[in-house]
Amino acid sequence: MSGVNILYTLISTARGVAEAVLPLLAILAIFQVLFLKLPISYIINLLKGTLIATGGLFLFLLGAQIGFLSYGQAIGEALGDFTQKWLTIPFGFLLGFITIWSEPAVRILCDQVEEASAGSIHKRTVLIAICIGVAIVVALGMARVVYQIPLLYILIPGYTLAIVMVWFTQKEFVGFAFDSGGVATGPMANTFLLGLGLGLASAAGGENMIVYGLGLVALIALAPIISVMALGLIIRIKSRYRG
Amino acid sequence: MRKLLKDTTFEVIRAIAPLIVVTIILQFTFVKASTGVFVQFLIGAALVIAGMVFFLLGIEVGILPAGKTVGAGLIERRSLWLIIAIAFLIGFSTTIAEPDVLVLSRQADIITDGAVSESSLVYIIGIGLAFFVTMAMMRIIFGFRIAYLLTASYLIVMLLSFFTPPEFVSLAFDSGSVTTGALTAPIIIALGIGLSSVMAGRSAISDGFGLLGLASIGPIIAVMIMGMIVH
Repeated sequence: MSGVNILYTLISTARGVAEAVLPLLAILAIFQVLFLKLPISYIINLLKGTLIATGGLFLFLLGAQIGFLSYGQAIGEALGDFTQKWLTIPFGFLLGFITIWSEPAVRILCDQVEEASAGSIHKRTVLIAICIGVAIVVALGMARVVYQIPLLYILIPGYTLAIVMVWFTQKEFVGFAFDSGGVATGPMANTFLLGLGLGLASAAGGENMIVYGLGLVALIALAPIISVMALGLIIRIKSRYRG
Repeated sequence: MRKLLKDTTFEVIRAIAPLIVVTIILQFTFVKASTGVFVQFLIGAALVIAGMVFFLLGIEVGILPAGKTVGAGLIERRSLWLIIAIAFLIGFSTTIAEPDVLVLSRQADIITDGAVSESSLVYIIGIGLAFFVTMAMMRIIFGFRIAYLLTASYLIVMLLSFFTPPEFVSLAFDSGSVTTGALTAPIIIALGIGLSSVMAGRSAISDGFGLLGLASIGPIIAVMIMGMIVH
């Protein structure tokens, strides 16, 4: 990455973060003046928090852009050179797991679930369920690129499964299961795993490189929904047997 | 604050360590990327660790309490129209500002040879999301089961996917995933918990969550409908 590129990444990341934060602050300001009227000390605390989070997000996104996209791509290309094609599948599983393990928004969701359930649903359990779901689907995504499976062949059964499970899983799990699909597709997945998919697709010689690389994100959004509801189902069955 | 900083730092290191360790092992076994790319990865990883510590800290002390207060404050106003207006506004404005949405919209411009302009898709995604966030908030207020809403929307998505021109299908699904960015997600989660926490007979765990999940369906449906209209 040349100096010009780094400068460009720096500016575009800063702009992106500012564009995400400003409308929120504007809405909050209007809301504060018209309706909320919170004490000043509260507002100062909030601004402090927002400032810290914004600075952090900037560094985080910058790091992910600089380091993770191109290295993910390098791994994908190395995997594409394997003579044993099926070997890409376990690697997809491993990389999918550890990437989501490091996704910040996933951590926030798991924390909030533990807090809202007064500790009865442990955050680590939910985190592992989300990671396993994504790991399976990244493995599937690797297989999809290598064996050229159309996206809808995986998405349609996946969506059907999700609809069916909504009715059988533990009721409390439904809401945050679907939220977990939203948080799993964060900046880590969008750089490291996207790079992995693109690298593999280009090494596997697919002319539809973009098509295969991008479908992965849609799969990552679906997978944790199913795996978290599966966790809810397991807990429900277990508690039924206990009495 | 100091204890929180220390705890957060440990949590972040534990979160990112596996990724870094595995990557280093891969680098020296079979990936063997150029030194430049590997050094870039290490610099990026250091930035990611530092950034994530501050991000999580700021979310914890500033954004989550704010989101919950706004959510609770909305209910105390007892005005349905106000809630609808705010939900729509927050959903719409955070989405059209999301950098990933802009990137995706640029692709649509290319796929359709300019028939769908970049800016029009941004607004379509924004409206789709805002509509579903509003609906999801209504669900919390009126207390109907999320399962009905989810089943209906997912059935619509599947049905539409058969009639949508193929090049729009993956665009539609991707647009659902990119809308909930790193900053928007915690705010929407906190809003829902805040809403449900002050309403009698709602539990934070079964009613407070789901806003984010429902929100991401809106753009999928909106983009699919657009794809059908364009063709």
